[in-house]
Amino acid sequence: MSTSASHAADHHGHDHHHQESFISKYVFSMDHKMISKQFLITGIIMGVIGMGMSLLFRLQLAWPDEQFGILEMLLGKWAVDGKLDPNFYMGLVTSHGTIMVFYVLTAGLSGTFSNLLIPLQIGARDMASPFMNMLSYWFFFLSSVVLLVSVGVETGPASAGWTVYPPLSALEKAMPGSGLGMTLWLVAIALFIISALLGGMNYIATVLNQRTKGMSMNRMPLTIWAFLFTAVLGLLSFPVLLGASLFLIFDRSFGTSFYLSDIYLEGIGALENVGGSPVLYQHLFWFLGHPEVYIILMPALGITSEVISTNARKPIFGYTAMIISLMGISILSFIVWGHHMFITGMNPFLGSVFMILTLIIAVPSAVKAFNYLTTLWRGNLRFTPAMLFSIGLVSFFISGGLTGIYLGNAAMDIQLHDSYFVVAHFHLVMGSAAIFGMFAGIYHWFPRMYGRMMNNTLGYFHFWLTFISAYLVFFPMHFMGLAGVPRRYYQFTLMEDFSVWADVNKLITVSAIVGGFAQLLFLYNFFVSIFRGKKADQNPWLSNTLEWTSPMDVRLHGNWPGELPTVYRGPHEYSRPDRELDYFPQNEPDETAPEVFEPAVVTEAPKAEEVPAENSVFFAAIKRVFGLSR
Amino acid sequence: MMLTLPKKSFNLLNKKLLSLLMACMATVMSFAQAASDVIQPPQEFDPSSWNWMNILICALILLITLVIARAFDIGGLAEKITGKKIVNPHKINAIVGIVVLILGFVGVWYEMKYHGKFLLLSNSASEHGAELDSMFMWTFGFTFVVFILTEFLLFYFMIRYYYREDRKADYFFHNNKLEIVWTIVPAIVLTFLVLRGFNVWTKITQTPNDKAEEVEIFAYQFGWKARYAGEDKKLGENSFVMISGTNPLGLAVEDEADKLKATLQTEIDEIKAKLASANDSTVVWRAALNKMESTGLSNTYVSEYKALREKVLDAESGAYVRQMEKEKKRKETNIKRVDLFKSKQEIFNKAAYDDRVTTEIVLIKNKPYMFRFRARDVIHSAYMPEFRAQMNCVPGMSTVFPFTPIKTTVEARKAKGNDKFDYYLYCNKICGAAHYNMKIKITVVGSEAEYQTWLAAQAKVVAPPVEAAPATPASDSTAVLPAVAVN
Repeated sequence: MSTSASHAADHHGHDHHHQESFISKYVFSMDHKMISKQFLITGIIMGVIGMGMSLLFRLQLAWPDEQFGILEMLLGKWAVDGKLDPNFYMGLVTSHGTIMVFYVLTAGLSGTFSNLLIPLQIGARDMASPFMNMLSYWFFFLSSVVLLVSVGVETGPASAGWTVYPPLSALEKAMPGSGLGMTLWLVAIALFIISALLGGMNYIATVLNQRTKGMSMNRMPLTIWAFLFTAVLGLLSFPVLLGASLFLIFDRSFGTSFYLSDIYLEGIGALENVGGSPVLYQHLFWFLGHPEVYIILMPALGITSEVISTNARKPIFGYTAMIISLMGISILSFIVWGHHMFITGMNPFLGSVFMILTLIIAVPSAVKAFNYLTTLWRGNLRFTPAMLFSIGLVSFFISGGLTGIYLGNAAMDIQLHDSYFVVAHFHLVMGSAAIFGMFAGIYHWFPRMYGRMMNNTLGYFHFWLTFISAYLVFFPMHFMGLAGVPRRYYQFTLMEDFSVWADVNKLITVSAIVGGFAQLLFLYNFFVSIFRGKKADQNPWLSNTLEWTSPMDVRLHGNWPGELPTVYRGPHEYSRPDRELDYFPQNEPDETAPEVFEPAVVTEAPKAEEVPAENSVFFAAIKRVFGLSR
Repeated sequence: MMLTLPKKSFNLLNKKLLSLLMACMATVMSFAQAASDVIQPPQEFDPSSWNWMNILICALILLITLVIARAFDIGGLAEKITGKKIVNPHKINAIVGIVVLILGFVGVWYEMKYHGKFLLLSNSASEHGAELDSMFMWTFGFTFVVFILTEFLLFYFMIRYYYREDRKADYFFHNNKLEIVWTIVPAIVLTFLVLRGFNVWTKITQTPNDKAEEVEIFAYQFGWKARYAGEDKKLGENSFVMISGTNPLGLAVEDEADKLKATLQTEIDEIKAKLASANDSTVVWRAALNKMESTGLSNTYVSEYKALREKVLDAESGAYVRQMEKEKKRKETNIKRVDLFKSKQEIFNKAAYDDRVTTEIVLIKNKPYMFRFRARDVIHSAYMPEFRAQMNCVPGMSTVFPFTPIKTTVEARKAKGNDKFDYYLYCNKICGAAHYNMKIKITVVGSEAEYQTWLAAQAKVVAPPVEAAPATPASDSTAVLPAVAVN
């Protein structure tokens, strides 16, 4: 492979200044394609861990009185006699939430596909700053390691829920998980935020500056629009979480009282902290937390738009409306955070304001759902696994989104807040929907990543088992929530009212386990196909976008040998009546229409060695280090 | 073309998978064997009697079988032999889709039939709850129509428009009228829902009611206490600095302030003594540790050895002294704050003296209440689903929730057909290990007299402890009245 790469490179004057070593090629790689694979593999590993944790606590919820030898084998002192410890149950719930929200669905999804698709779909050689891109991955990696270490510490992982509300998370004596486990959690999140910011800046700079000739903003695939808005959201909201975490670190370790006031702890006495407010933390947290759910969901929606359009062989319906609704969702997502706090003691008037703003956000969401449906209408639907997962996403997006209308209503939230209804809502609309978007992306762009095809039949089994089991897991939770069953309970055996739900809990757990095993099919398919899958064609899905024009059989840092492709039209020209083929690649000149552009200027692939002479060695070094000049 | 399957890559595994299949068959056989030993009478459908572990194992076997089916790839093989395209994945997936959709709707209907009676809809035990229930049904009406329609269309389009080679999709990507319609219609529906929600929310949370009786609900890790005003109809002042073993709610009671100060002073003196002898203690502990190590006891008493070693390391590094000094400072601050609190004489107006602290909540039907929430340590949430009421309890902040119960416990029992039913207030905000077991019983009685009988039996905050009086038999709801407990 390396010989053919260097051959191609020589041929096109793409001269590497040194032979790439293993380290620079696979570890500290600055090639966005390699970085995206790194994000993906790390995300998959974290996903397996996160899902495994959910299975462990689901076992506890379904059979609270049963003893599972396997739990003691796996968890040791946290499951003496095979029965999960209540503290560790909380730890599992917290770690599951953190891993899934941040590590799988933020970094694993957005990190993977932003990195892979932004340069390839807009026709750029690489990210604006490859070095920052590499740092972004390695901060993420470090953060994952710290988080996993925090799960293993002797006092247990952070256990105050993934939202880690103080005072519970601030007081070491309030629960064992708020000791070292919580400290490491905060460190992990701080590292994660650094990674997200480094990545986000890069994505925005690349999309705005590095588009190839003819790729105007309104010719960008919807994936790129989604990644752009996601990056903007992340850039504006993650720093607030960093601030919130820093205050929490100060409260925990340096005796400040940002979030603490009037606290008496059993066995200790009245604490000295006065004047803080736990509600302040909630405001800061949800100022990130709400945009975060869109940071998770929007890339999935972007991927879905692209996959549905390609496989329906039809232009996406309402391209402009899709962009406007993405923009609307992005802006609104910053002013609705209070709907997580209707009954936290926040001024009720503020609650009414947040309720109105929240329900407005349902309008752009509805537009998106209807546009997807209309895209399918009178299409020619090819059910590749990616297409099925996209349709699954639309289904989850609708059923989970509709329950948002209940929860966004402050009055109804009084009853539904923190019940299983909420669990059902967000697991469908941002959990399942986003993970389905991620699967759609993996199945669709696997040939682009590895030059091989995944197995379709296994993909079909994977899809249907996952789809059915996800509904079987989360849909019954609506009923439990409506019966007033609170979430984050270790067991329900002590509450007679909730004992009728024992069967449902078992059904959910069994479905979750089946769903978990369905993921084994995926893992098998994924890893085996990397090495043994059928070699992919250059454009296996007969798609229009630019990523399928970059050579598949050679690994080329720079994406295109010689000049960059020129773009002549939007990304969704499928089934045009005036053409025989049902697709029309963006870079193919239109023979009937007059040439709009000057003949493309040959821009040579960058030569890494040729750093322009700088007056100051210092600035040259800075530019070089941060990849400003390549 | 793009959907032909990479067969070759998976064939190598067939032998291994075959042996797995054999193992599975053996398992299934053994299950069948076990089942045939006991002849079971025909049973009614009752999921609770199922052996879920077996079902689970069966599901696993099913999955493995699927993998094997894939490995053999019967369809692909047949295609190879006949040279014709037999399997049309587009059609198969479309059919599976419509089947899943129908089964899904049937499943929801079945669940509603099986568990619908347990849902808290249209059976509110509080006045405002009826409005919430009605709003729920309106929202449900709208969303249900949208849900059925969109999900149906999604799967209908799958089967109607699946891929055929001779077809071409419509080149249809824009229609202003359509887009305006589905922007405006949801907007109008949502406006309706928002206005209604706004009105109800404002009515519930922002309507002052002077007649409402205040009851304090006090949350701590892990339990609840309620406080009722005494004869003066006023809840006394309180502060977290006043909390002690004998004054769990930290009420403004002078005796308790003095007692607490004395206790704290004693503790401070103890710490001072410990600090003075810190150096000597360190030497003693180190000697004990060395002895443990040399005699090999450290291997027998591992946990004791570890604890001692930690203590010695703390002492030698100075952490022990720092900890003690911090503790001392904290207690001194506590004393200062008690003094400061005491200096506000008007707070110690004896309003707290006749308050009654109870471990159950008793309410009178049709009487408006204002629940005032306090938390001692971390955030809790007072969740009363039957009353459609919930509010967080936040340390350092007083929160309220007003509501009027409209159904007595006895009435609710009759309505539910469950003699053992009771209202409960649950904790609904993650608060620690025993979060799942943090509740307090609420009893709604029919008359003022029953309530007064109960209240009279509750101890006053400063009253001397008395023996429990036998409960006086009263009306038919006596059984509902909580047992009188004086402590």
